[in-house]
Amino acid sequence: MSELLTVQDVTMHFGGVHALTDVSFEVQDGEFLCLIGPNGAGKTTMLKAIVGAIRPQKARIQLAGREISGLPTHRRIHLGLALTHQIVRPFRSMTLKDNVALAVGHRRIRRVWTALGGLDRNKERAEALKLLEMVDIHTYADQAVTGQPLGVLKRLEVARALALQPRLLLLDEPLAGLNHVEAAHLADTIVRINREGLTIVMIEHNLGEVLRVGHRLVVLDNGRKIAEGLPRDVMQRPNVRAAYVGKEANDAAA
Amino acid sequence: MGIYELSLATVVGINIILAVGLNLITGFCGQISLGHAAFYGIGAYTAALMAKAGMPGPVNLVAAMVMAGAVGVLVGMTSLRVREDFLAITTMGVGFLFLGIVRQQESLLGGELGISSIPSFGLGKMGFFVLSLVLVVLAVAFSLYIKRSWMGFAFEAVADDEDTARVISVDVPAYKLAAFALGTALAGLAGGLYCYFARFIVPDDFGFITSISVLSMVAVGGIGSVFGVIVGTALLTLIPEFFRFISDYKLLVYGALLFGVMRFAPDGLAGLTALAFKRLQRKGGAV
Amino acid sequence: MLYFELLIQGLIYGSMYAIIAVGLTLVYGLLRILHVAHAGLFALGGYMGLLITNSTGSLILGMPLAAAIVGVVGMAIYRLCYQPILDQPPYVALIASIGLFIAMEEMFRLIFGPFGLTYTDAPLQSVVQFAGIYLRAVDLAIVAGSVSLLGVLSWLSQKTRIGLAWRATVDDPQIAESFGISVLNVRYLNFFIGSALAAVAGVFISLLSNLVEPTMGGVPSYKALAIIVLGGLGNVAGTLIASLVLGVVEAFGTIYIGDILDRDAIAFAFLILVLMIRPEGLFARR
Repeated sequence: MSELLTVQDVTMHFGGVHALTDVSFEVQDGEFLCLIGPNGAGKTTMLKAIVGAIRPQKARIQLAGREISGLPTHRRIHLGLALTHQIVRPFRSMTLKDNVALAVGHRRIRRVWTALGGLDRNKERAEALKLLEMVDIHTYADQAVTGQPLGVLKRLEVARALALQPRLLLLDEPLAGLNHVEAAHLADTIVRINREGLTIVMIEHNLGEVLRVGHRLVVLDNGRKIAEGLPRDVMQRPNVRAAYVGKEANDAAA
Repeated sequence: MGIYELSLATVVGINIILAVGLNLITGFCGQISLGHAAFYGIGAYTAALMAKAGMPGPVNLVAAMVMAGAVGVLVGMTSLRVREDFLAITTMGVGFLFLGIVRQQESLLGGELGISSIPSFGLGKMGFFVLSLVLVVLAVAFSLYIKRSWMGFAFEAVADDEDTARVISVDVPAYKLAAFALGTALAGLAGGLYCYFARFIVPDDFGFITSISVLSMVAVGGIGSVFGVIVGTALLTLIPEFFRFISDYKLLVYGALLFGVMRFAPDGLAGLTALAFKRLQRKGGAV
Repeated sequence: MLYFELLIQGLIYGSMYAIIAVGLTLVYGLLRILHVAHAGLFALGGYMGLLITNSTGSLILGMPLAAAIVGVVGMAIYRLCYQPILDQPPYVALIASIGLFIAMEEMFRLIFGPFGLTYTDAPLQSVVQFAGIYLRAVDLAIVAGSVSLLGVLSWLSQKTRIGLAWRATVDDPQIAESFGISVLNVRYLNFFIGSALAAVAGVFISLLSNLVEPTMGGVPSYKALAIIVLGGLGNVAGTLIASLVLGVVEAFGTIYIGDILDRDAIAFAFLILVLMIRPEGLFARR
């Protein structure tokens, strides 16, 4: 196994807030890495930095050995990244099916002037329907985005990301907003996709699921990496427990 | 058709090409342009200067498109660097900048007095109208084609949520530039036609008011809807003509219309038509 | 000597731009709307100020009254025009505002005539000497007015509870509401102050040229739009500085590149140049 993603010394601050400080870790090809930590630890910021939605002050990021920290987002996606958002961002002017179909057609829209050459969207729409089925929201396929419940939109994020046929999938709390049944089913689907070869980095608060599915854990707290390793081991460590318990105690006291 | 009707129809045609171009930039791709008239002007001045230098009509029209499109790409590059709200003002600034430069260039561009005695295209009034009609049909067909193509699909994403478009692999800067290139080239074509139609152009023909007029034609028709824009343009061009008494009130009507449509029916005529269809369908279904 | 005179002239115009631009940036900071109709309120202020001053003979009455009237009109515009379309995409409010402005301009033309009105006895025209150059009283009034008004605004914003409420609402209306702040009242106040400021600027401009005419709102307001972008949308201090900078750039620019570009286009050339180098403007917010 080799490293698919290498993240080194990522440091990001907004104004006076230090969101990330010297965070480094690696993701092996085929791995299922879970990124955990209390609220505000910098997990979403980390994923945004990997995909290029934000530009850290300092970062070295390599995908399959290639330095991507200077590339614009769409180039990183072309190289095999995909991301789902914690706060859903569907295209509100399109149906659910079209949201995914556009991503399915990512090769067609890669070059602006060749995109002009195609009118037919049927093949991509059919493929989109299959992806929506995979996450159990195909019944909403031809409906508008507005008015859909959160659970549907969160799964739309996943379907759309999968449509890009990525090598590395970044999932930001994909299970939040789903009920027990939906969450369990989606988690199973994600695990299956990972077994089929897709490398996954997932942020998740649902520690039960994390311990069940993750191969390895990276723990962030206050913008720093405080632990890394096998799920059971990491969760035993005092500093990790303190980070979570400390947060709870603070919240309780406030 | 009499001479008057022919002229009117030609003007409607020119305005449609202009509006369809703006609809591409603002409607399809979501980039607000308040300086569209500048590209209209660039096309007109290019064609006028070349015509006076003796070049043939068709060549001048192509040159008008190319010139306008090239500057359009330059302006498009500014859109890459600035956010949405800034873009509206920047494009407005481009419009004023164009006027400012043209007004000061007396020797080359005629300054405030403009360019007069532009030679005729050579087809006569009827022939020129037919040419304009053909170009209108081509422009509209092209626009509809883009809308249905994958370029149009990508434009939709860019207009909807630029950042998310990037995350699903859309090369947003390239698509914005494409929208500007195509939309401004169409404006340039309209400008070329206009200079042959009027045979006399002055800087004020291409000022902020003109940019706003085109924007109102697009907004009233329904931003993004090609057929809506055609109807909106025809209406806003013809109404002042048919109701001569309101020509003194023309601008007031434009302003009130712009405001009213955005306030009460932001999707324009196209939106209202779609709404009416839906209501009819429901009535038809329920017994 | 010439440079000094140009500088002073630039600062005077810059002060006036500041009064208009600050009103505009207040609205943007609060609602993310480019309030082009502000230009119409500016002109309305000029007209009101002139009419009241002419009929009462007193500018002391004319200016504040004009400011108050226009302030109220501004609040009405918020309620009737912007509030109902806040949830629409931003171009809707922008185009609606442009339509409103054009309609206002035309109404001035139709009601008061295309050639404008003048003061029966224009106040503040006496010549004054300042540091070796000749200015009119109105020039000094503009600078004094701008400094004091913006000073008061700054004090209000930083040192009073109203100012705190305003800043909280700008940052996050939902949280502000949960703290008991009436977001609606903050918005009304915002429009009142901004529009009143526009009216004051309108009166000042009318005193400079002893003329109000229907299109007077256009050019200063287009420049104000460029200024608020330069100053950082929503950033009051940045807007003030950008206004002064622009005034000076214009004054010098007209002399040096007046052959290539006319005066009004200089503002936009400057804007585009700056944005190409710094897309966030001269002073980005936060």
